[in-house]
Amino acid sequence: MIFTRSDPSGFHIEIIPPKQDSQKLEEDLDLFASKFERVMESGFTASITDNAMGLLAFQGHECIKELGLRARPDQILIHLNTFHTKQNLDDILESCEKLGINSILAISGDGSPRLPKLKPSEAEADGTASVTSVDLTRYIRKHYPSFAVGVAFNPYEPEEHEFEKLKRKLDAGASFVITQPIIERNAAVDRLLAEYPDLPVIVEAWMSKKLFLLSDVVGYPIPEDAAFDPIGTLETLLKLYPGCGFYLSLLGFKTQYSAIEEMAEERRNSK
Amino acid sequence: MKIVVCVKQVPATTDAKIDPETKRIIREGTKAVLNPFDLYALEEAIRIREWVGGEVIALSMGPESAKNVLTEALSMGADRAFLLCGREFAGSDTWATSYALAKAIETVGGVDLILCGKQAIDGDTAQVGPGIAAKLNIMQAANVMQVDEIGNGTLTVRRMNERGYDIVRLQTPALITVVKDINVPRIPTLRRAREARRIEIPLWTYKDIGADPDKIGLAASPTRVVRTEPPAIRNTDTLTISGAPADAAKLLVGEMLARGLL
Repeated sequence: MIFTRSDPSGFHIEIIPPKQDSQKLEEDLDLFASKFERVMESGFTASITDNAMGLLAFQGHECIKELGLRARPDQILIHLNTFHTKQNLDDILESCEKLGINSILAISGDGSPRLPKLKPSEAEADGTASVTSVDLTRYIRKHYPSFAVGVAFNPYEPEEHEFEKLKRKLDAGASFVITQPIIERNAAVDRLLAEYPDLPVIVEAWMSKKLFLLSDVVGYPIPEDAAFDPIGTLETLLKLYPGCGFYLSLLGFKTQYSAIEEMAEERRNSK
Repeated sequence: MKIVVCVKQVPATTDAKIDPETKRIIREGTKAVLNPFDLYALEEAIRIREWVGGEVIALSMGPESAKNVLTEALSMGADRAFLLCGREFAGSDTWATSYALAKAIETVGGVDLILCGKQAIDGDTAQVGPGIAAKLNIMQAANVMQVDEIGNGTLTVRRMNERGYDIVRLQTPALITVVKDINVPRIPTLRRAREARRIEIPLWTYKDIGADPDKIGLAASPTRVVRTEPPAIRNTDTLTISGAPADAAKLLVGEMLARGLL
């Protein structure tokens, strides 16, 4: 039960699988494997992205299988977006089921010309113009009920609209939420926690110094030369949101991982 | 069925830049990708192989770096790949390229079907596919949107036109160029991608394919790219409409009607 707020024992560590056009695929796979196994050993959750930013990459489940990685299914969260053929989507879900993975993050995702978009009829979402994460959540819960499905919550969207969307996601069967990155106390996240006290919420913490990317996410410009201390920010967020899980995006394994392990240990001991 | 798919390495559209002096595409340092239309040709070839059996051979002409697009073709499921490579081929226009690829297809031997994307996104000529068919003196259909039947030495396809499609029956060996409507190209699996990277891609010189050196390369090309112009920058005019949603929607519709957009 890694998503319950009563047991946020570990962090969710974002791992991006190798790109399809990698010119050093074996090296990239080795790196993926070492990150994945380190996350497993630490007791954290490996949160594996699905063609992040629309860039064609291999799927997490196939990397785990192909590399024969020692997977602890309860510690794996597979991201799944709407940019797949139905065949692909079902293959991924079936493969994850076989691996014993039980958590999926359903998101709309970033498209690209190379990525096919699920058709409404394929996701049993007739009458809609395009498949959304709500439809995807409903589809997964209907056909693969063994998965706990998480959804995204964007505190930077117009609040009422986002809460209305969240309700539709929860009605479709979502059982946990991951926010977009926040770097300080956030009113929308506070409201989320107040309105849904029993809903497991995982707060995304931005661990990169690439502030231009963060600017894109939060929707307001953050000067590139602004002082930003990812570890310090995470420490602040841990204090502000003690009942939440934490999704650490773009974590530096070489430079930040040891500090994260220490912080996790402190958290576990304090529970 | 032995199927050859001709593929081309092209600059990624998002990266393509034009030299302001020479007005030519700057290829150096630009990310290169498999021509998007060729993905559909590859996918269709693989589907035909899955349907009737046989093998799929990917073929390209270009610098050694073009091996990358052939590896991608192998990752998708092509069985073998060859690259025509050598400075003698450099500067070939569509005429010379068609000749070289036709010679390579003859070298492969016993080919029943050739597939090409309808055009490359860099040159946009749509001439090489038909040119290969002409050099090989075989039947061809361009802009194919569906393959209906294969067998008994024939191929029945739907050829897209402005009003819909024609149904065309071709005798094999034949060449078709395909449009995007024909299929959804598969995404390579990791297993296949790893296997593909271990497959050797032979480089063929003009001698290997028995090509006449006087018919390839810049000197043998009857056409020249005199100039390439980037498209004119469109005037953008941002209008911000504020107010209550219903009022803003009315204003927006009014603006669009006034500009002839509705």
